Amino acid sequence: MVFSIAYHFLHNAAGAEEVAQDVFLELFKRLGTLESREHVTFWLRRVACHRSIDHARRNKIAAAEVSWDQLPEPSGPASENDPMRTRRLQQMIARLPEKMRMVVILRYQEDAGLEEIADMMKIPLNTVKSTLHRAHAMLRAKAEQAMGVKA
Amino acid sequence: MKRIGLLLGLLLALQMPAAAQDWDPGGTLKKLAAKASKTVDVTLDQSMLQFAGAFLDPKDPDQAQAKKIIAGMKGIYVHSFEFDKDGAYSDEDLAQLRAPLKEPEWSRIVNVRSKSDNQNVEVYFRKDGEKFKGLVVIATEPDELTFVDIEGPIKPEDIMRLGGHFGIPNVEVGQDSSAKKGESK
Amino acid sequence: MNPFDEELKRALQRVDPPAGFADRVLARTARAERKNHASASKWTWFFGMGGLRWAAACALCVLLAASGAIYEHDLQQRRRGEAAKEQLMLALRITGSKLQIAEQSLQELDSAGQPRR
Repeated sequence: MVFSIAYHFLHNAAGAEEVAQDVFLELFKRLGTLESREHVTFWLRRVACHRSIDHARRNKIAAAEVSWDQLPEPSGPASENDPMRTRRLQQMIARLPEKMRMVVILRYQEDAGLEEIADMMKIPLNTVKSTLHRAHAMLRAKAEQAMGVKA
Repeated sequence: MKRIGLLLGLLLALQMPAAAQDWDPGGTLKKLAAKASKTVDVTLDQSMLQFAGAFLDPKDPDQAQAKKIIAGMKGIYVHSFEFDKDGAYSDEDLAQLRAPLKEPEWSRIVNVRSKSDNQNVEVYFRKDGEKFKGLVVIATEPDELTFVDIEGPIKPEDIMRLGGHFGIPNVEVGQDSSAKKGESK
Repeated sequence: MNPFDEELKRALQRVDPPAGFADRVLARTARAERKNHASASKWTWFFGMGGLRWAAACALCVLLAASGAIYEHDLQQRRRGEAAKEQLMLALRITGSKLQIAEQSLQELDSAGQPRR
């Protein structure tokens, strides 16, 4: 979970491992303060989220090193289960602005509720809703454009 | 200021047992621990008793009995010392342990010597009116000393129920007088 | 959930950490613990298993975190509770044995027709 959040956010395995290690080290210091399994899960997600964002900022990892327009065109229409399509979607997600990217990851990887995302990221619920809505629309449009199949 | 200091000093010297706390009259138990070759220390205050109680298995007869015994108990403190040789503790040490038990609220109800084991066992109860508020057991052998302090509304019959449980046989009159040592170290 | 949402879920399926990740977390935790212990006063770790406990806790946590389920806190509570229970049973055993000796001695006195002290 922790590694995966960091990986999808940073799109980089080494960076994701560094973040994940930091998070677990922090967890063991705080185990005594965590009250339940749910609390631990929430805490892990929240800390993974913030540490990933901090890591990206510290290492100046730009969201859009390659613009979407420069992503190679597929040779033919991609089917929904095409691993290449999945990979392209991952690249698109990695190029979203930070907050938007994290909202998408928490929603689609972790199945987190909107209020939970708002809690974890310390942003208003309405911001979560609008950010998710915009991200969804953006990704969908780009997927249709880049991969030639109506998503 | 001096008077207050004196008063505080006196109170400390009297070693008034605080409610439901581990008790070390005259610091004797600490001294004995330093001399002992083996020590068993169990310190369970009310919250720890409740915590432990939650893990007692009601299907196990011993543990079910334990649950009944500790209901309402405020603390159980057991200090048992084994020494390499006889005479490691002195009469003065014993006097220190017994000193607070001379208060009016305490009654010594048993003081027996078992010749076969060369054990001496004293049992004291603390009462507030008709209510039992605590129990102290001081058991000595030439090379061993055990001090048990149980705090709370303990009843004598509850404690006597401990015989026949926890691997301790109920002893009937007429059996071999050399009592089996049931304690664990 | 619409098909595009399903695609996003597929794209963001959980990724396992690389091989040896748990070992590296353990090593880092152990280093951090050694650093803490060097500067702290002597603590009696719970039943003397301190370092081992932390290493075990770490490994379990990593594995369980990867599967999304965290039980470490519950496990630690259970371990503490079982230990407290054992202490309680030991205390009652010791007390019972001493009282048993007292009762036996009294019965001996009674059967011998001797007065009790």
